[in-house]
Amino acid sequence: MNNINKIQTCTLGELMIYQIALSIEDGILAFHGFGSPLVQLALHLAKRNHAPNLVLVAGATYGINPSPAFLTPTTNDFAMNRDAECHLTIEELFDLAASGRLGRMFLSGLQIDRWGNMNVTRLGNDERISLKLPGGGGGCNLSADAGHVTIWTAAHRTHADEHGRRRYRLANHCDFITSVGHRTAEGLPRAGMPYRGAGPDCIVTDLGIFGFDQEGHVQLHALYPDTSVELIAESTEFDLPVAANLSTAALPEPEMVEFIRRLDPLKIHERELSPADRGRFFQLSGA
Amino acid sequence: MYTQNDKRCSLTELVAHIQNGDCLAIGGGLSWREPMAALRELIRQNIKDLKLVGSAHGIDVDLLCGAGSVAVSAESYVGFEQDFGMALNYRRACETGAVKVEDNCCYSLVQQLRAAIQGLPFMPIRSVQGTNFLKLHPEFKTMTCPFTGEQLVLVPALKPDVALIHAHYADEHGNLHIEGPPVADILFAKASKKVIATVEALIPHDELAKKGVTIPYFYVTAICETPYGAHPTSCYPRYAYDREHTASYYQAAKHGLDSFNQNYLTPFVHDCKDHDAYLLAIGGKARLTILEQWDQSMEKWMQLYE
Repeated sequence: MNNINKIQTCTLGELMIYQIALSIEDGILAFHGFGSPLVQLALHLAKRNHAPNLVLVAGATYGINPSPAFLTPTTNDFAMNRDAECHLTIEELFDLAASGRLGRMFLSGLQIDRWGNMNVTRLGNDERISLKLPGGGGGCNLSADAGHVTIWTAAHRTHADEHGRRRYRLANHCDFITSVGHRTAEGLPRAGMPYRGAGPDCIVTDLGIFGFDQEGHVQLHALYPDTSVELIAESTEFDLPVAANLSTAALPEPEMVEFIRRLDPLKIHERELSPADRGRFFQLSGA
Repeated sequence: MYTQNDKRCSLTELVAHIQNGDCLAIGGGLSWREPMAALRELIRQNIKDLKLVGSAHGIDVDLLCGAGSVAVSAESYVGFEQDFGMALNYRRACETGAVKVEDNCCYSLVQQLRAAIQGLPFMPIRSVQGTNFLKLHPEFKTMTCPFTGEQLVLVPALKPDVALIHAHYADEHGNLHIEGPPVADILFAKASKKVIATVEALIPHDELAKKGVTIPYFYVTAICETPYGAHPTSCYPRYAYDREHTASYYQAAKHGLDSFNQNYLTPFVHDCKDHDAYLLAIGGKARLTILEQWDQSMEKWMQLYE
């Protein structure tokens, strides 16, 4: 208990992990994929707290309900899969999604447009690739099939270069659509497609929490204690509607922060954050 | 059907089953159980113009791209996650056009392999429409489902020329046993025209049967006993991932193709006449023992990642 009593602040990473965890419903089957330490920690945090009946499928190993020894930077690792209760095969996980039994998936993008379409395939055009990204794994399929999608990115904040130009993460246009949101790039609604899932309902970034309005457009829902509507608008290429009940995001309890620190002693999740963001701390209430 | 009683051969003979221009399915996933020794031998044999198909990969695909062995990549992910980030040789080869980008997605690939396994021309999926993957894959078609009236995407059967797998154990007949996640290896083995495998150890059939047959012998063309054949990727429970070696690989790739040639391909591939020479080059028994002792304590395990 002494350790917990000493915890008076949380980091940005821990706040994001907690906010991603809050998007996870109890009793569903959810998959954390790979290259996603913030999400991996969020699933374990959710299962330990409000979602004990979560069927937690580890990315890459397809182990169910493992107790990781510690978070590793490589997802397909025995340390991540320790004491898994049982295992799926690759085809079984994707079949569960295709048949409507994957409750929630977590996806990210180097470009995220106003409808929640995302690009992790390439920058540039068909003729010339200016930056080849690693690719989306099964994200393309799961963006259509998963019941709901939580989007996350730790690189929402943009900085102007010497010419005043910004490369936006939340951008007007995706150079390539790897995974689908609520409307096609041409604006056609998702309802016209025979997808299983309802699409993204939440975006957790380094600047705030977002949802989607009736039209399927990204909408600002909550700020962090150190961000503002103006700051977020500056880092977003498209005009950003703000929810009527805009709030400040809730912070995790000290017990939760302690749990995250215990599960990730190598601080792998901080590698998703910019060096400046690794220095952001928030005072916990009651501390 | 591959029914010969004794499938054993040398690593050179094993890899010679791969021809220039083949469609190659590499087993394993990310930093887990990649058939690295066979890939290094493939580079030494100067096999070229490969089309690679697979799900989530890292150093295996990056190494082949750095060596100029690849013409087309149809993988779904090639990178080093939060460990080192982007796969630099792969990225360079895609951006210069040396490698044609035909990225695929995991379930599309799974369904394509299943169509091949089941002898069907295609399998339907709901996803992919609405994304730009249809442009990368003009062979994917859409149709209206005659039962529900929904528009579905049809992905054609995919039969790789060769599946290359690293397994824990085999018997002489070619039955394979894999411990831990098989990733797409079983699908690859059943869909491909040939299956070639390196294994940590050859064991008598009785022992293998007790452990369980992951891939039956008649799918398997040839096998080669290649201890530590996945290095620097992991082959738990025998040995962990060699992050230190991978870091030096990454540094060599970071400074351009010449640096990669000089500081990685030359000392660890071309100058090693065989796999035993490679094992000496990476630090021999002393290094391998450290990787094997991952389970002695939590501290030792964690140290491998620091």
